[in-house]
Amino acid sequence: MSPQDLTSAISQGLNSGGEQFLEGTLAAILPLMWLAILGLHLGRPYILDMIDRFTLRLGADLLWLIYVGLRDFLILSGVVVSFMFFFPDVVVTDQLPLTGGLAAVCVMGVLIVKLIGDPDHDARAYSLVTYLLGLGAAFYFIPYILGVQANSVVTGGFLKVSNFLVTASNPGWAVGLAYACIAMLGILGAVAVGYVLKTGGRAEADISSAS
Amino acid sequence: MSPQDVAQAITNALVRGGSQFAVATIVAFLPVMWTTTLMLHLGRPYVLRTLRRCGLRLGADVWWMSYLLMRDALLVITFALSFIYFNPNLVASMPFPITGPLAALCLLLALAVKLARRVDDDAQAFRLSTVFLIIGATLYYLPLAFAVEAASQSHLSWFQQNLVSNAPGRTQPALVIMWISLAGVAAVAVWIFFRALASANRTMKRRLTAQTAPAVREKVTSAR
Repeated sequence: MSPQDLTSAISQGLNSGGEQFLEGTLAAILPLMWLAILGLHLGRPYILDMIDRFTLRLGADLLWLIYVGLRDFLILSGVVVSFMFFFPDVVVTDQLPLTGGLAAVCVMGVLIVKLIGDPDHDARAYSLVTYLLGLGAAFYFIPYILGVQANSVVTGGFLKVSNFLVTASNPGWAVGLAYACIAMLGILGAVAVGYVLKTGGRAEADISSAS
Repeated sequence: MSPQDVAQAITNALVRGGSQFAVATIVAFLPVMWTTTLMLHLGRPYVLRTLRRCGLRLGADVWWMSYLLMRDALLVITFALSFIYFNPNLVASMPFPITGPLAALCLLLALAVKLARRVDDDAQAFRLSTVFLIIGATLYYLPLAFAVEAASQSHLSWFQQNLVSNAPGRTQPALVIMWISLAGVAAVAVWIFFRALASANRTMKRRLTAQTAPAVREKVTSAR
């Protein structure tokens, strides 16, 4: 082995190790983000209850804005971090939950409902958001717990199921689902763009209610 | 191989590997930046709806200011990170989306629209900047998802052969796209520069006129 070979080997190791570390960190953060999103969304009655107890309007406004900002920024970050589920090479190489991409589509759906509807004042829109988040959490946590985190402890038939739920050991399904999720994400993105182009960036719900 | 050779090899590997890792990290973070930029831009109606429900002016101002700062800072940072696509050596040696430089140009055009017109008051200007952002995002995501990040998929070989900057036979077209985009970026940057200069001159002149006018009026009154 020449010094040049050694240089190449070390730099390749650094690169691929760094990349895998980055993807691994994102994958490790996602369950925490999902739990935080669910906690903040489901904790809405508690926040509203607390707001009612404020004697100063300023404190109530700030609490509500911080809550809404944190909750929605986490939902937005959930879609952004889930982007790795849409890259075929990543899903084939890394051990990710098989239906993680579908979970990301559900979160994107939540963002669309928030953009077009008004979940903080419309009970139907709020229910829709809750159902979408519940579905997304199921899509994420079931393959995460039973597949990614259990495939080294289960045996027999359960091992088959466990391997099926992990992208790296089920590349055919993983890539197919990635394409399906890209298509769904594209459709939802087109809906968002169409709405924003139609309204010109204005809060249309307010304009219509004012008129 | 002597210990000196091993030490030299490790040093070279750290330097080369470190720079490659820095570039790879920027490339890996760009989809994150693009997606967040798009979402914050498209989420404006929702932000406005939340803002209009604030009972106090202070809360509304803080909310709107935070949104604007995040949205526009992300646009600028995404463009700054996209500048990696304007390094010819990297374009020729690393697997970049071939239309990445055009996407960066679209991002700059969206920024230029924001500078030239009041995007937050003018619906047409907002639509124009949205269109630039969507074109840029499409030019960025398509080669990224179906070519750069799909090297293992044989049925996507056409995308890998034609939409990756360092694919065999695609380096020259990639460099041509890069130079054309760079010329576009330079043209837009020069236009922004002179526009900023003219705008500063105009506002300063107006301020100077406003300052000198009361002094002249005072002199005329005292002469009478």
